[in-house]
Order: sequence, then structure tokens, then C-alpha cells
Amino acid sequence: MPPELSNPKLQLAFALVIGALGTYLLLPKPKRRSIASGLFLLIAAVSILGLFVVQTFGKPIGEFIPDILFWLFSTGAIGFGTLQVVQRNPARGAIAFAFVILSSCGLFLLLAAPFLMAATIIIYAGAIIVTFLFVLMLSNVKGASNENDRSREPLLGSLAGFAFIGLILFTLLHAKPVEAASISGEFTELNLPAALLTSDDRSSLREVRIELDKALANDDAKAAAEGAKAAHDKLAEIIGGDGVSGQRKSVLERLRPLIGDPKKPMTHDPRLLAFTKQTLQLQKANHDLEGHLLSSADASDKQSLQKLRDEVTVYSGQGQLPARNVSNIGLLLYSEHLLAVEMAGTLLLVATIGAVAIAGRKKGVAV
Amino acid sequence: MISLSHFLVVGAVLFGLGLVGFLTRRNLITLFLCAELMLQGVVLNFLAFGRMHGSLNGQVFGLFIITVAACEAGLALALFLMLYRRGRSLDSGLWQTIHEQGIPPVVDVEPLPIYIPDVHPILPVAGRKPGVGPKAEEPSRA
Repeated sequence: MPPELSNPKLQLAFALVIGALGTYLLLPKPKRRSIASGLFLLIAAVSILGLFVVQTFGKPIGEFIPDILFWLFSTGAIGFGTLQVVQRNPARGAIAFAFVILSSCGLFLLLAAPFLMAATIIIYAGAIIVTFLFVLMLSNVKGASNENDRSREPLLGSLAGFAFIGLILFTLLHAKPVEAASISGEFTELNLPAALLTSDDRSSLREVRIELDKALANDDAKAAAEGAKAAHDKLAEIIGGDGVSGQRKSVLERLRPLIGDPKKPMTHDPRLLAFTKQTLQLQKANHDLEGHLLSSADASDKQSLQKLRDEVTVYSGQGQLPARNVSNIGLLLYSEHLLAVEMAGTLLLVATIGAVAIAGRKKGVAV
Repeated sequence: MISLSHFLVVGAVLFGLGLVGFLTRRNLITLFLCAELMLQGVVLNFLAFGRMHGSLNGQVFGLFIITVAACEAGLALALFLMLYRRGRSLDSGLWQTIHEQGIPPVVDVEPLPIYIPDVHPILPVAGRKPGVGPKAEEPSRA
């Protein structure tokens, strides 16, 4: 690859300009609507954008299935979103929007929000789009029409929208944690670990869970205690040994001379400060994890063993979509956000009244 | 490892696409759906940040956004129905006369493309039209 193409800023600018041009070509116009070249430009823009994301924010490796799903759903959302924006026929646009909803609901599921996924599918795809399709059928447009075959300032509009995307992506490019990690030449190889536990740690935690299951299923008390002891030792090795906390401690130790006295920070470099803050937060989270997992383990008691097994399941990444999602959201809604819930209810009521008052008028409308 | 930034990029692109559609399209319903596309991008951001901080507050925000979107859909539908009754069209350009004073009106210069209707296949008539031929005797119900 030539060096110019690996510059993230150039990639981003190139992708945005090509994308804006492609959208301009695809937007409905009486003349000069070139579907083939617009499609080609858009596909090129999306591939360059994908290259940019992979190079800048890291190639997703490790956990295979979530990555495949992420790329599938995000490509689906963006592709169908483009289709919705440039589609001449509004009914087809509405169907494309339904597919955008389905794709982004897949992303919601990846973000551990099953309740919101179900609610979005039911409300958007089930209610809103169907209602709007009814209105579309009411205004049965045959042939070419002003509203479907013309766009308002297509070139300026697409340039403005893509300039906005560029603004956000440039900000993300400058705010990414890898940038903060490469402060000076000495620290170029320091990469902040993104997750609390790496995927290797997670797979070892899964093995521990299997051993704990075996120990729990064992009727012989002595054998069960031995199995639990072995699992516990393994857990201690993963959590406290050379695993997660080892990496993080070494990062902190190498940062120590740069930070100096913790009471009065010597540096005012904002990136170094941000990096130090992130490292300290990670270390604290890691410390919590250690204390949490290791203190709750008493190898002799079956009940606490069961508890430990549940915790390990959650930390190993298999229990991250708990069935308690709905009840926890409900708890949060009715404890912390009670006022907001009431206001949302009032808003719905007022909207219903307003809709009836606006649309229900039969007489007195100048038709 | 998929990080927060990946989701933020997807949300930003969805928001920008909705922005392009909202600025350029002229069908009222397409405009509304583009606004909903922007909302989807925002919800994605909220969920990603909530996931990063390990809290459910992002999901609660998403829930409220859905509520507001539902209100908005009901009101927009009523408004569109009324505008359609008045103007017999869903074109937002019909209502450009209510802009602020001193701005010249936008005139569509290019002629619209000529619409060629789909040619439906002509099927041969099967059977006989009811009521044309000699009336069949109704069977007696005795």
C-alpha cells in the first residue's frame, strides 16, 4: 500500500468526498441521476471508511462471532440507510428504514440491550413504519411528482451531511486512546488494553467455570472440596498472577518516573494525564475484580461455591446478557428516573390529544 | 475486540445519512423517516457509552428516546394528514410561502421526467361475464 493511502486523515477526507459525490449522484433529480456511478462511488467510500476504521481503531480480532455480527449489522444499517435516503419511491424508502431498524437492533443486542431491541422492533418496525405506509397509500402518487423526483439542493445537502460526519470522525480520530498511549518514543509500544479481561483470560475463566461445575455436581464432599480448591487456585493464577493485573502493573510502573510524585503532578501534557487516568482506572477496576472474586470463595461451602461459579460465568463473558436486564431497567426507571417516567407519560398523553385535535377536525378546514 | 469507537462511527454515519436526507428530500414522510434515522444513530451512541461505563442509564435514555419518537410519529402523522388535505400533495415545497420575508421563492426549473406507465399483461377473458348471457334457471327449492 502506498504511504499516502495509510494516512488516516487522507483516508477519511477521501472517503467523505467520494461518499458525498456518490450520494449526490444517487439523490432523485429530474436529470443527471446516474445510479451505476453513484453506487460505485458509495461502495468505494464505504470500503475506504472500513479501512480507516480498521487501521485507526484496531482490527477486531479474538472473538470471532461478535465481530462477524458487528460488521454484518453495521454494514446493513449503513447500506439500508443510504438506500432509504436516495430511494425515489417513499414506500420502498420506508421498507429500507425497517431494515435499518432491524440491523441497528442487532447492534443493540451486541451492546447487551435485549429489552431495548425488542421495544425498538415492536414500536418502530411494527407501529410507526406501518402507520406511515398507510399514509403513503392514502396519497397515491402516480407518475413523476415534485416531492419524489426532485431534491432540494442535492449537492450542497450531501456535502453538508458528509462534512458533519467528517467532523465527528476527525474528533474521534484525535480522541482515541491509542493516540494517548504513544506519547513519546519510549512509550510507543504501550497500548492500553481495551477490556478489563482479554479474550484469553475469558476462555481460561470458562475452563474454571467448568471445573467449578464438576465440583458442585460431585456428591462426595472430599472430592468436591478438592475440585473446588483446584479451580480456586487456577482462578487465583488467572486473576492475580501474570495475567491481567501483571500487564497493568508493569504499565503503571513504567509510567511512574513520568508521573513523579502523585501528590503534585509534574506534567501538564493532557495526553499523558489522560493516559495516566485511564491506567489508574483500569488498575482500580482490576483490583476490584480480584478482591471480589477471590474473597467470595470459600472452597468448603457449597453455597458460596455456587455464588463464585455465577460470578465467574458473568466475568467469562457468557453471562453478559442476563435475563435480569428488564427487571434492572425497571428498577432504575422507578427509582432514579421516576420524574422522567412521569414526564414521558404526560408527553404521550399530550401528543395523543394534540394528534386527535389536529387530524380529527372534519369541519372548518379550508379544503 | 470491538471497542466503543466502532459503535460511535456507525452512529455518526447513520446520523449523517439522516441529515443528508432531511436536508435534501422533499416528501414529508421521507423527511420524517430521515429524522428517525438520526435518532437511531443517537440511541446507538447512548447504548455504546452505557455499555462502556457498565451502567444501564444509557438504555434508559434509549427508552425515553423511543417514547419521544412515538409521540413525534403521532403528531407528525396528524400534521401530514392535515397538510395533505389542504394541498393534495405531500410535497414540502408547497409550504415554502410561509418562510421569512425577503427570500425569493424556489422555482423548479428542470422538467420532470416523463412517466411511462407499466404495461400490464392483457389476459384473455375466461368464462362468461355474469349477467350478460341468458339467465340460468335457478333450481327450484321445492
